[in-house]
Amino acid sequence: MSDILFYALAGLLVIFSLLVVLAPNLVHAAIALVASFFMTAGLYLLLRMEFVAIAQVLVYIGGVVIFVVITILLTTRLGDRHVPPTPRQRLWGLLIAGALLALPLTYLDPTLLPNPRATPLSAEAGGLTAIGTRLLQPSAGGFLAPFELISLLLLIALIGAVVIARKHPPSRRDNP
Amino acid sequence: MTLYHCVALSLILLAIGVYGMLTRPNFIGVLLSIEVIMNAANLNVIGFAHFSAQDPTAGALFPVFVMAVSACEMAVALAILIALFRGKGHLDSRRPGGLHG
Repeated sequence: MSDILFYALAGLLVIFSLLVVLAPNLVHAAIALVASFFMTAGLYLLLRMEFVAIAQVLVYIGGVVIFVVITILLTTRLGDRHVPPTPRQRLWGLLIAGALLALPLTYLDPTLLPNPRATPLSAEAGGLTAIGTRLLQPSAGGFLAPFELISLLLLIALIGAVVIARKHPPSRRDNP
Repeated sequence: MTLYHCVALSLILLAIGVYGMLTRPNFIGVLLSIEVIMNAANLNVIGFAHFSAQDPTAGALFPVFVMAVSACEMAVALAILIALFRGKGHLDSRRPGGLHG
């Protein structure tokens, strides 16, 4: 049962990701990205990582994609003609992407991968309680410092984004 | 459903994203392709955490940090694109330039 679900979700994920990359209209590509994020969240649930699945829906679909759609609507005019990629771009893209796919798949030996665990993963390991405790645990093995650093990074990035995107460069009168 | 399938799936997504990065004629399309690649990376980490990690909780935490960094990246990149669009009037990735200063 879970195998069938995995293959169905993986197939849909690949199809939607292809749509993200190939759709001529950028709004369609963004909507395909939402669909592919939902499929990924489903895969995370299937792999028993419920917190990551929730964060995926909240952060990516609720935040990042909305931001991208707003930018697309701001910067695309209705009359804009779609420019397809040139044959040379397509050729190089296919070559490099094909090499990235084919070489590891050829040399990836399943026996080289780390051994699977003996007992299946319990739902607690990826659940809210375990992750919350771990995230705020100051002792060794905890993630308190990265957690604080990432909040600082988010603040810096948001201030930087506002400064870069504002309409007029700061005049001399604003900051004497 | 084994670790091999997860790694193969994230490799396929990586190749799709790289193809998009190289062929998208619009900068926003390039950013969308980067999101596909990030998604592949997260899927890879989660696959390893689920199937063989000693410490699956740490593996489940890692994608959260990736998400935060990618949200930062999107915010700054889209701000740069808006500023670029204001200066040039288009976002054609074959005609870059105008990024200095």
